[in-house]
Amino acid sequence: MKKEWKKPNLEVLNV
Amino acid sequence: MIKNKLIQLDDVVVQQPGHIVSDMDGETVMLSVEIGKYYNLGDIGGSIWSEIQSPIPVRQLIANLMTKYAVDQEECEEHVLAFLEQLLEEGLVTKQ
Repeated sequence: MKKEWKKPNLEVLNV
Repeated sequence: MIKNKLIQLDDVVVQQPGHIVSDMDGETVMLSVEIGKYYNLGDIGGSIWSEIQSPIPVRQLIANLMTKYAVDQEECEEHVLAFLEQLLEEGLVTKQ
C-alpha cells in the first residue's frame, strides 16, 4: 500500500 | 519561458553535514547550526532528507520515492526537483 503524496515544501521557521 | 534548472535528474545530491534533525509529530524539523535557522521539511521532505543522507543520483531518488508513494513520475520529478532547489538555495545540500 503506497502512501499519499503531497508536494514537499521547505518551510523556514521564524525563530 | 524556459528556466535554467539548478538541479537536473542526472545530478548527484547529498546532505550538507552539521544539522540537528528531529521528528516532530511525523514531520522532520531541522536546525542549521551554521546558518542559525530552523526549517520544517514536513513529512515527504523528511523522507527525501533521509534518502540523501549519502550521495544519490536525483533519478534514483525519484525512483525510490515512487516505490513508497502514490505519485506519477512527471509530478514526482517536478516536485522533487523544486524541493531540492529550495534545499540547495538554503545551503542544506550539495550537488556533485
